[in-house]
Amino acid sequence: MPADQAFVSVGGLAKYFGGIHAVRDLSFGLARSEIVGLIGPNGSGKTTTINMLTGVLKPDGGTIAVEGVEMARAPAHHFARSGVARTFQVPRLFRRMTVMENLMVPALSDPTEKRQAAEARARGVLAFLKLGHMADEYARALSGGQQKLLELGRALMLKPRLLLLDEPFAGVHPRLLEQIIDHIKSLNRDGHTIVVVDHNLEAIQSVVSRTIVMTRGRKIADGAVAEVLQDPEVVRAYTGARAKH
Amino acid sequence: MPRLSFPHAVQALLLVIAVLLPLFVGPYWTHVGAVAWYYALLAASWALLAGYAGQFSFAHMAFAALGGYSSALFVSKFGLPLPLASVCAILLAMGMGALVAALVLRLSGPYLALFTLAISEIFRLVLVAEDEVTRGMLGLEVPGFFPGSSDRPYYYLGLALVVLSLLGMNLLLSTRVGLFLRAIREDEGAANTSGIDTTRYKILVFIVTSGIAALAGTYYGHFIGILTPNIAILPEMGLVIAMAVIGGIESLPGAVSGAVVVYLLSESLRSYGEWRFVLLGLVLILVQRFAQNGLFPFIERLGRKRLAPQAKLAIGKTMGNGHAG
Repeated sequence: MPADQAFVSVGGLAKYFGGIHAVRDLSFGLARSEIVGLIGPNGSGKTTTINMLTGVLKPDGGTIAVEGVEMARAPAHHFARSGVARTFQVPRLFRRMTVMENLMVPALSDPTEKRQAAEARARGVLAFLKLGHMADEYARALSGGQQKLLELGRALMLKPRLLLLDEPFAGVHPRLLEQIIDHIKSLNRDGHTIVVVDHNLEAIQSVVSRTIVMTRGRKIADGAVAEVLQDPEVVRAYTGARAKH
Repeated sequence: MPRLSFPHAVQALLLVIAVLLPLFVGPYWTHVGAVAWYYALLAASWALLAGYAGQFSFAHMAFAALGGYSSALFVSKFGLPLPLASVCAILLAMGMGALVAALVLRLSGPYLALFTLAISEIFRLVLVAEDEVTRGMLGLEVPGFFPGSSDRPYYYLGLALVVLSLLGMNLLLSTRVGLFLRAIREDEGAANTSGIDTTRYKILVFIVTSGIAALAGTYYGHFIGILTPNIAILPEMGLVIAMAVIGGIESLPGAVSGAVVVYLLSESLRSYGEWRFVLLGLVLILVQRFAQNGLFPFIERLGRKRLAPQAKLAIGKTMGNGHAG
């Protein structure tokens, strides 16, 4: 792949719900192994963007290319099998299945993956997430923070090239928050390209170097976190209360 | 020597009882048993569809009717040999199952239930209205599988079909497909974003369960000798659901046990008239209140508790090894 070609390239992405423009003319690129924040006030179109980047929603316009392959019209399972994995704002686990089974589902969705190899990989992921002792528990028995970790683990079982984390820090105990931050940093060091959507700016700042800011479905800033947070439009749209004048 | 697990021991015992039963009871109870296998096939296949895959379809009896009627009509109108007619009827139902699945792909919960209920009612009314072909409420005569008037061959055929269907469905559930179906039941969107082609597996489960429902209908039609559109009425669907829920909607042997127990109970209490249904309703309420997963898993759990001291010892040993390792 040429060095100037983005690993992920999003161009002119648009999504309308009736008369509401949830996302309009959104374009950005992601370099391989980059970790980027996607922030914005409620209703700015962040989750809609994530949903389009994972095939959950079909865009009404625009392109999504991963390593040069156009995927905007592909179904969600095709995104997942291509290594685009995600978590949800509120964890959507298979609640009446065990922790191990939750991890086996994405692993075995690859028809070439053998059950034994998948189990070994799942144990590795559980050890990484410090959930090894919970393998045989039902997912519904996990605490809120542990559910977030398990959902991250489920995404990792897809051997992701691009990981989209929708509010990974929301409602998490401070100690677990540090753990999640460490996990994200560690995954990025291992070469994963990651997009983090969250409202917790302190946490976002601690893991990403670049951030994209959206408001009312449009991108209003894209750059280094410190610079972006000083951008007057961003301050007006989102961080006004936090800005130092 | 390998030890039989408690659920397998219970299933083996029930199978032995089922095989020996006709040797000890009269023709009436053999007949009742043979009808119970019809319900067992329906309850188990509905448990796979609703309990495992989360697809609460009310069109199951329509597929049973489709199987029964088409098999009979293939014989009477096209002169097909009876076994071939039955196979064609089942294949037709599987095709229709795929079509219904494609129609309801985006529906779930009450919408799916209402849509499939409408499909079932439309099909039943077609059976009533097309009386030149189906003989409507007068009933369509269906040739028998076996010569003579004994119900015993039907009893054993029904038992064999139940055992084979259970083995087939269990085989399916033991593969990754079983895991995917349960994931779809839990959260279809999350299953999709976990790489599962949910469309494919939902269609697959409709095809399989429609085929088994049609198998049940075919068996029933050729056994009873006459079919009316009443085979697909809503109370029949309600009865199959109650059987599956009482036995265990997430347990195929549980659904079979539920069907057999409920049907035998309703026949035993026949002298009480409508009151037997009041009693069955009470049983359903009590099961929902105290054994939500059904009676079979409840009994299984009780059995495991009785074996608890041995289990604890085994767990202790395993943990000991774990720490040492």
